Amino acid sequence: MDRRKFVKSTCLGSAGLLLHGVLLNAQSEASAPALPPIETHGLPQAKPSPLGMPGLFPGRVVEVSSPDAIVHNRVSQPLINEMLERGMKELTGESSAAAAWTRFIEPGDIVGIKINPSGAPACCSSPEIVREIVSGVLSVGVPAHNIIVYDRYAYEIDIGSYQALVPANVKVLGIQDAYSGMSGYDMHTYCQANFFGEWETRSYMARIVAHGLTKIINVPTMKDHSAAGVTGCLKNLAYGSFNNVARSHRAPYSFTDPLIAVMCSVEPLRSKAVLHIMDGMRQVWHGGPLTQVQDFIHPAGTICIGTDPVAIDTLELEAIEKKRQEKGAPSVWEHDPGSITSNSQEFFHDPRKNLFYRRPGHIASAGKLGLGVADRKLIDHRRVA
Amino acid sequence: MSQLPGNTTHPNDGGAWPTLLKGNLRTGGQNSLTPRAPKRVRWQARLGSSIRSAPVLRNELLYVTVTGGTLYAIDVSSGRPKWRFQIADQIHSTPSVSNNKVFFGCDSGTVYAVNGDTGRMVWDAAASGEVWTSPVVSGGVVFFGSAGARLYAVDAETGHKRWTQEFGGRIYSTPFVAGNQLYFGCGDGNVYGVEAATGKVLWRTPTGNGIDSSAAVASGTVLIGSEDFFFYALDANTGAVRWKYETGLGIASSPAVAGDLVIVGSKDGYLYALEVLTGTFKWKAQAGEVVTAPPVIAGGLVCVQTGGIFAFDIASGKLAWRAGVGGAVQSAPVLAEDVIYLASLDGDVYALE
Repeated sequence: MDRRKFVKSTCLGSAGLLLHGVLLNAQSEASAPALPPIETHGLPQAKPSPLGMPGLFPGRVVEVSSPDAIVHNRVSQPLINEMLERGMKELTGESSAAAAWTRFIEPGDIVGIKINPSGAPACCSSPEIVREIVSGVLSVGVPAHNIIVYDRYAYEIDIGSYQALVPANVKVLGIQDAYSGMSGYDMHTYCQANFFGEWETRSYMARIVAHGLTKIINVPTMKDHSAAGVTGCLKNLAYGSFNNVARSHRAPYSFTDPLIAVMCSVEPLRSKAVLHIMDGMRQVWHGGPLTQVQDFIHPAGTICIGTDPVAIDTLELEAIEKKRQEKGAPSVWEHDPGSITSNSQEFFHDPRKNLFYRRPGHIASAGKLGLGVADRKLIDHRRVA
Repeated sequence: MSQLPGNTTHPNDGGAWPTLLKGNLRTGGQNSLTPRAPKRVRWQARLGSSIRSAPVLRNELLYVTVTGGTLYAIDVSSGRPKWRFQIADQIHSTPSVSNNKVFFGCDSGTVYAVNGDTGRMVWDAAASGEVWTSPVVSGGVVFFGSAGARLYAVDAETGHKRWTQEFGGRIYSTPFVAGNQLYFGCGDGNVYGVEAATGKVLWRTPTGNGIDSSAAVASGTVLIGSEDFFFYALDANTGAVRWKYETGLGIASSPAVAGDLVIVGSKDGYLYALEVLTGTFKWKAQAGEVVTAPPVIAGGLVCVQTGGIFAFDIASGKLAWRAGVGGAVQSAPVLAEDVIYLASLDGDVYALE
């Protein structure tokens, strides 16, 4: 058996399960192109870890909120410290935050903190939260130079000023410098599908994810997404770890469902992502992921913590839907052809408009792949004031 | 009291632009000729990897660093490299030129001095953590900060260390040298005044978040932005806050001073013009969605790169012209007599006329 066949046989069992469910969703959009097969090529030597998604606490989401955590668009560092400590203890049942961190991280780990800077500066992973996560990882005994704050695009990291704002000696890494560049990606670990007749049909996993890191702490933001419905744990991890992902959506159609879920299932990404800390300080209810329009950004002041990205994203989707309803905006599930516009400025300023038919079904698809709990009734949602 | 900018090294030799924002006075230009909207590309040099620093100019050579680890000396008459100096690490540091040596830092923490004519290395010096700041040369000493939370002073001729000083956060703010003092912002949220001869901290003033803006000093006032959304004016002797001005988002842009005005960009997408002495608001002008680059000034215009180049009338803030040249969001242009030199994230250097 050659390597390619080996990988296909180890990965496609679960992917096949996914495709069935997704096709049911796709059929509701009569004119949408058919979902093509998606082939995954994980790293064959990667060993699945019990810490990997859905992790130590499937279905459990700890939501910590404070009305004072964000005031006048500034995030309070002391309150974030308290909120994260309370949340980590609640998630793990440990009596101290230091003990809680040891459930996920060991001193010898190379820890990646996957931020989401794509909406910077208006809405991106708060440096205040990243600093507290670094502090927690340091408390385990991981040296600062073995902590890497990363994302795909260096220029977006720069706009967020993370390079100046994280603690000394922590590395800040953009996987690619500009809009193109392949050197940061592993040519043997990829997802392949031809969605719209694109020239390059593969999306490669970042080298640092495939080979450099031993653990990943995912720090997504809480945002509407014009193609995926929401950008949360799953999308931050998938589209921030693989390249060439914009090809999954060509207006007005989107195959973010199932691609996001499938990518998250690929090893070693699945096993390395041990903890998800969703930054809900700012909640973007329209215009995501790139909006800079403050009218659509609600200062929610929450953090959601868990090891199950599907459960967290399920609650995020519920929160975004609720906020959109409050504001009189249509549901992210709505597929009204009249809401579609090709004018991005119209989309950015009118919550009734969108560039794509949103596809938030990737969360349920990830549940079917075993990445977590998507059934709302089965989610253990713990609110901590 | 330290000597203030009038006595600092003043490398203003004709059309030279040897440091970030033209010279150690950090005025951001001050050419007498008003730059006109560029009509054509005189030349375009494709350097093969992303450019996240600003070019500098001296003796008809444009010095450019690229993230692929190369320092280029480009002949401005042809747009062709005269020489290149390659290292193994990424470079984000804007080079500076002094006494025919080109200085820059890299991500491994090494700072290099390279002969400006030949491209041969003169010396290298090690620092802890990546060096993104632009080395500043004054009085035969090179000053630079690092992500390892240290500020360094090394001999400009030999690279031998004079002193190092540790601070509470990463240093991405290029120091401003004024007589026997250095001024810079730090990732720990403080602005520092430091003795240039020893590195001794003379004062520190806290802001509400980390700082990656680089300071300018004018009229005895340290001018610097913070990620806490405020722009600060501090007494250069004591660090006392003289005034501060709130913008809509964090400030990574470094200010430029022209007469009694200081101009700075904010991530809220605006350029702000304020009076140096009082902080009185004069005007603000929208320049794209996010401004992180420093403005530069020439002939009554303020230019800033936010995707393209925007040029505003310095008296009124009205848009004079704009030109699209690619996604050069972080770089600052060099405004020469009749040419604008700029570098893009995509790795292209342009001479526009």
